[in-house]
Amino acid sequence: MRQFFLDIVTGQRSRQGLWVLPLLMALAIVAFLTVRTGHMLRPDNLLNLLAQAMPLIITAIGQTFVVLVGGLDLSVGALISFSTAILALGGPAWILIPAVFLLAGLVGLINGVAVARLNVHPIIATLAMQYIIVGVTLVLRPVAGGSVPRVVIESVGGTFLGLPMQVYWGVVVVLVAWKLLHGSRFGLHLFAIGGGVASGAEDAAHNVGVAVKRNVIFAYVASACFAAAAGIFLAGRIVSGDPTVGNGYEIYAITAVAVGGTQLSGGIGSLHGTIIGAMVLALLSNGMTLLNVSPFVQTAIQGGILLLVVAMQTRRKMGL
Amino acid sequence: MIARIPLAAAGLLTAALLVPSAPSYAADAVAGSAIKAGLTARAADNPVSEPGKFKKPCGWVIGMSDFGVNANTWTVQVAHESQAAADREKCIKKFILLDANLDQNKQVSDIDDLIAQHVDAIIVQPVTPTSADAAMERAVAAGIPVVLHTGRVKTDAFTTEIQGGAEHFGKVMGDFIVKTLGGKGNIWVLRGYPGHPEDINRYNGLVEALKGSSIKIAAEEYGYWQYDKAKKVCETLYLSNPNVDAIWSSGADMTRACVDVFKQFGAKIPPITGEGNNGFFGLWIHEGFKSIAPEYGPDQGAAGVVAAVDLLEGKSLYKHYDYNPPGWDLDKAKKYYRDDLSANVWWPSQLSEEQLKKFYGKK
Repeated sequence: MRQFFLDIVTGQRSRQGLWVLPLLMALAIVAFLTVRTGHMLRPDNLLNLLAQAMPLIITAIGQTFVVLVGGLDLSVGALISFSTAILALGGPAWILIPAVFLLAGLVGLINGVAVARLNVHPIIATLAMQYIIVGVTLVLRPVAGGSVPRVVIESVGGTFLGLPMQVYWGVVVVLVAWKLLHGSRFGLHLFAIGGGVASGAEDAAHNVGVAVKRNVIFAYVASACFAAAAGIFLAGRIVSGDPTVGNGYEIYAITAVAVGGTQLSGGIGSLHGTIIGAMVLALLSNGMTLLNVSPFVQTAIQGGILLLVVAMQTRRKMGL
Repeated sequence: MIARIPLAAAGLLTAALLVPSAPSYAADAVAGSAIKAGLTARAADNPVSEPGKFKKPCGWVIGMSDFGVNANTWTVQVAHESQAAADREKCIKKFILLDANLDQNKQVSDIDDLIAQHVDAIIVQPVTPTSADAAMERAVAAGIPVVLHTGRVKTDAFTTEIQGGAEHFGKVMGDFIVKTLGGKGNIWVLRGYPGHPEDINRYNGLVEALKGSSIKIAAEEYGYWQYDKAKKVCETLYLSNPNVDAIWSSGADMTRACVDVFKQFGAKIPPITGEGNNGFFGLWIHEGFKSIAPEYGPDQGAAGVVAAVDLLEGKSLYKHYDYNPPGWDLDKAKKYYRDDLSANVWWPSQLSEEQLKKFYGKK
């Protein structure tokens, strides 16, 4: 029994990675802030926290698909900005929202083909794509502004059946991701492909009949579509299109995935781990605000805590 | 019929006089110079807040949503100036400085958090012209006075704003170039960050200044307001064609980089525009090139706190204060330059001597 709990906490022999430790850390932060500030668990603060974390949660979930097959997607931040720019072009939501997902899917397809078919390194392929998208976005919308469809604004800032819309966003995104990752053959194949990559037997999944290249391409398409969803959420929240709103999200998303226990070498990880990782990042930020910590030292404290959490995972597990 | 027209006009005039008009508090409004030197109330279409509307007894909690404390040395000093101004005011019980870290989403959360904490006033430095609008509207709806500075917004939901004109900033530098070159020549243009409204508006000021002249923009590149990036740009431009008559630079760190490139190649430094930065002043004074320094002081941070205090004391403020001072010449730069302080100090400042030495002293 002792070994069983030890395995869960340390992530040993688990395909879902080391997610219990960040969960304990998140709970510790919540407990500490509740005692120190008194209003950590206030509904308005929790909703504020959820709204603040939601774009990162969505983006990081998408990034998980790519990381599981041993890849990385550095184009997601640019894609978020691009999605807000498209949404703010002015026009009916029933045209703009599908257009955002269609274009994002195309971006993911190109990323996936570059990585899986043309054997371009994921960092190079998605970094090049990031530059392309940044340029196109600046042409579309040089400065923040434009007109976001009313339905998008209300889908983020409104309420339904007494619950804020952020809650529904969270439920829908998690359900879709859960179905893809843990309830479909596609998800199973991602783990198989990544497991082979991480152990150095890259042909292992192919040898048992998994269409490796096709699944890797779909992983990049999924990542791009989740980034587009994050862009739609942000456009509704800031009520505008913005060429810089997604800056940095690619790094935050990868950090959230790593903190949540997903191995950057692929094959091991989980959806709940990623969500916990994103919440740890959001809690650190929210906690600093609640504690009125000087902005001059906030970044250093955040970096130190993150280093501590990631250092709990051995170098072999991180795959770096 | 004709006789009825004067009668109708008289009737309309009488009706207009009987309709109650919005009261004007302009006579009681705080002058711009009382908030910060160089501020002026906008001349037209400038409503005044009602006296006593936001008055509260001492013990205020003031929140500030900063767009990004650590974006560069200027933003760091804005935060220092704001904090110092709050520390000077005895009636402020708590000053909450929140850093959006250039993240629009976080700024919305920061403002929402300040509203949830029921602060007495909120100061906002917006990340972009639109991203904070909805949150500011919620703050105003909650009855909290909102002071806006160093960044324009699309919404009208703020109590007062202090805005340095980026177009004015760019035009001051453009006018200097037109005057120095006698209206003809080739110039390089060093821009800030692509897509940033401050960059676009400063550039628009340059374009306005160049109208009617025969000055040509021979090269236009982005230096991201950073020394290292601008240095690479200037090195490349110099090696491709060193014949340039003047350089319009959107920021002092880029100016210092370009000056260093000309020194590195042993070439004569062309007329180049600067900014109110101690490092640039030192270079200007020691190298003796032709320049001008438009003013965009970090003490606008202090001005924001002063405006919030004025409102909580029950004073009337204009809705719009403009900050469009003339450019500084070499003589004025010499008066402000401090050899004992680092290059990272920006002028004018309201920090005390002790604080200047603490944050920026070389020793």
